[in-house]
Amino acid sequence: MSDLASTAGSPEPSPTSSVVRLRPTQRLFSTIEGVFHEEVFFLILSVFIGIFSGLAVVCFRLAIDWMHLALLGPLPQTHSWRLFAVPSLAGLVVAVLVLHVFPGIRGSGVNQTKAALYIFNGFIPFRTAVGKFICAAIAIGSGQSLGPEDPSLQIGASIASALGRQLEISREKLRLMAPVGAAAGLAAAFNAPISAVLFVIEEVIGRWSAGILGSVVLSAVSSVVIVRWFLGSEPLFRIPVTTFKRPTELVAYAVLGIVGGLASVAFAKSIGYLRPRLKAWPRWTQYLQPAFAGLLIGLIAFLGAPQIMGAGYDSMDQAMHGQYAWKVLAILAVLKIVATTFSFVSGTPGGMFAPTLFIGAMLGGAVGDIERMFFPHLTGSTGTYVLVGMGVLFAGFLRVPMTSVFMVLEVSGNYEIIVPVIVANTFSYLVSRSLQSVPIFDLLTRQDGLILPSLEEEREEAILRVEDAMLPVPAIILNAEDYVDVNARRIQGSSDLAFLVRMRSSGWSTITREQLQRLFQEGKGELRLASALPSQTVPSLYPDLPLDSALRYVNNYALVPVVNRANFSKLEGVISSESVFQKYRQ
Amino acid sequence: MSWRLPKLVPRSAPVILLVLTLAAATGFAAVGHLVARYNANQQSRGRKLYAQGVVAAGAGRYDEAIAAFRAALTCDRTNSQYQLSLARALRDSNDPRRLDEAESYLVALWQRTPQDAAVNLALARVAAHRGSIEDATRYYHNAMYGVWNSDPDSNRSRARIELIQFLLKKGAPANAEAELMALSTSLPRDPAAHFEAAQLFAQAQDYSGALTQYREAIHLDPLNSSALTGAGEAAYNSGNYAAAQHYLQEALNRNPQDANPRQLLATTELIVRTNPFRSHISDVERNRRITAAFGQAGRRLTDCAEQTGVDLNATGASPASPLASLQARWIATKPELNRLRSPAETDLPDAIMDVVFQIEQQTASVCGRPQALDLALFLISQKREAAIQ
Repeated sequence: MSDLASTAGSPEPSPTSSVVRLRPTQRLFSTIEGVFHEEVFFLILSVFIGIFSGLAVVCFRLAIDWMHLALLGPLPQTHSWRLFAVPSLAGLVVAVLVLHVFPGIRGSGVNQTKAALYIFNGFIPFRTAVGKFICAAIAIGSGQSLGPEDPSLQIGASIASALGRQLEISREKLRLMAPVGAAAGLAAAFNAPISAVLFVIEEVIGRWSAGILGSVVLSAVSSVVIVRWFLGSEPLFRIPVTTFKRPTELVAYAVLGIVGGLASVAFAKSIGYLRPRLKAWPRWTQYLQPAFAGLLIGLIAFLGAPQIMGAGYDSMDQAMHGQYAWKVLAILAVLKIVATTFSFVSGTPGGMFAPTLFIGAMLGGAVGDIERMFFPHLTGSTGTYVLVGMGVLFAGFLRVPMTSVFMVLEVSGNYEIIVPVIVANTFSYLVSRSLQSVPIFDLLTRQDGLILPSLEEEREEAILRVEDAMLPVPAIILNAEDYVDVNARRIQGSSDLAFLVRMRSSGWSTITREQLQRLFQEGKGELRLASALPSQTVPSLYPDLPLDSALRYVNNYALVPVVNRANFSKLEGVISSESVFQKYRQ
Repeated sequence: MSWRLPKLVPRSAPVILLVLTLAAATGFAAVGHLVARYNANQQSRGRKLYAQGVVAAGAGRYDEAIAAFRAALTCDRTNSQYQLSLARALRDSNDPRRLDEAESYLVALWQRTPQDAAVNLALARVAAHRGSIEDATRYYHNAMYGVWNSDPDSNRSRARIELIQFLLKKGAPANAEAELMALSTSLPRDPAAHFEAAQLFAQAQDYSGALTQYREAIHLDPLNSSALTGAGEAAYNSGNYAAAQHYLQEALNRNPQDANPRQLLATTELIVRTNPFRSHISDVERNRRITAAFGQAGRRLTDCAEQTGVDLNATGASPASPLASLQARWIATKPELNRLRSPAETDLPDAIMDVVFQIEQQTASVCGRPQALDLALFLISQKREAAIQ
């Protein structure tokens, strides 16, 4: 500003100051540009990704509603011919679009986002977003048993990827654009930013860092703000009064977790079994598969269970308020598993988040009602069990334990049920994990011929640590302040090839037998060892560090000291390249 | 398909941000326009569905109404009117499972507008369906003191009357009476309102309060034969037989075909004619009535003993038999009748009538409800305090 002021006040600009001739706007731009290094710019970009994703998801939701009204009418009548005609015909249309216009939209949006992150350098074709938008709107609007969350996630990821490519940001950042967009899309669809952030971190990115977390949070929050701005802040469900009074009731929730885990396995296995087989059928059958799924769903609806059509949020809401008897709830859970399995394996675009919540809700309500029948003293309402059930399926089927807990809390806004949710979700997760080793997302990826990192496996993987390769404290530790000849005499009885040297002030160094003997032979025995050693000390390691972190040192130093975190001067042991590689070889 | 924007702008951060801001603003405007149009269509559709629901609910087709209101709500999720109507339909559908959902809608509305009397009244009715006196009373009171969009006085009275009816039904007459007191002070000058209040007083067995309200109703509408009958019944039940005779007679004069007051009038007249404690009668008449009552009690005792197989004259009659004891008392008292004329025997009428009343009450419990003069004496015994007029 001072430059600008002095320039403005100068009657005859100096011929050497060419900057003075710049227009004020240009100078302002150059000043602003100096502020934006890539990290800051990426954060700002995340807000725009959230805004654009939010706008797209608003349009997507309107498109689904509009399709539903146009195809099924505002007041669907049970036993109407529309119930099975519409999903079947819409299935045909979707099949043609998927096979001829948008071939890249088959499959899970979560996996495609992961593939963009790990394989395609952040690239998701924008065509995918367009295709998902159109086909998922037709499919879900016509009553296919799928949800809008996964397509929303992918639409967000596609927008982010397209934006990143257009702005030519670095490859490293471009890879992260898709998950950032995915978080925005999912948050907008669920109206739940925390769950979306956790899901993307837990399932897509798999690691926490300030930069990633900041971007994901910013995009998720801005997309939710946009959705609430246009569609209101009404939650997905009206949450009834939920209570948890006696700790002994946790047993009831544990039972729900076990049942939910078994249902999750049944659901995942049916998809895992049918999907590759249906894909292997002749190509012409793929035109009919979505139509067949639509026909099946339509017939179920026609015969009296229209609740299974579409995402089913209204039915979940009603289940939460005790509108269905336990038999109805149980039947709806089973029918939804069947309907969603066929919708999904037929290649119809759409997500499994909402159906998972639906199945969990119905199952939770049914199990809760049955438990209360046998144990009338249980205080949890049907609504409480329905809510917990949602999280149970989320944990068991999608295998995202953290997200499942926060999703229930965020949707219900009630922290009183956190303990039942954690207990039930843990049981569900453990049952599912023990009976179905491969999580559903990884299973789908492998069926599609891709090998993406399984974040669950990474989480569960046993990490080798420095202490695993650590050797005991050496018998001889040299002192840098002693003379070379003293140190040379000290090592005479030893067979070790390298020795650790304690420096006077702090830190450690190393010296080999050969180096020490050479010093002695060169007549430097009267010198202190410190004067012959390099001034840079050997870095220390801690026993709990991952063994990977030792790799960068063991090649440069013969021995690397391992010290106590509370007392740096206390030596816990040493590691060498040999001990590290030996541990890896094991 | 490879999608790329043409490179029209230099790749500098401020320009990029400017372009993105413009794009966001454009998108915002476009989506805003789209959403506005969509919402307008949805609201129009919602109104049609709501109208269907109202018709169905009016005709008692609650399932149909609930479906229509639900569909209307999907068009306009925040519409309070739709939510209130859906909650009412859910509540009135007589399906206990639906009460939770109805309550959920209403609680959400209540949290938004706790002063809304219609919402409080609906919540009070849900609580009444559940049988919760505490919650129902709280919400009814909220409704009474809440904000009504139209005709607040009448609506408040209606809410209080509903609360009283609920309390009476739940067997809480003390609470109901407190509400009745408040109601009686706030009634409009409307005979129907006083008539209804009188009926509630009568249900709460506060017959003097009922009589007061019937009198108000008659005062405002002297030709109201129902009010006259009600007043007669209230006076009869409170033991005010002279007033009962008057009102019942008036009711019969207005509506001679009405059988109810006729029968009650006959009993009332008998009571008036035979009551020895009635004021403004001469000593001679009082003694005559006491003598007649005493004789009637003796006959009633004999008849009842015969009916139940108790031999009152047998020497070995069980002393434990209440009828035999009363017979013994009756025989012992009979000579006292001759002393009734003596002005010094001021306590004698009461003593004789005590025997009569004990006989009537005992025989009523052993042999069933009495008839005619016995009934009159029995009722006088019950309302003795009131009968001394």
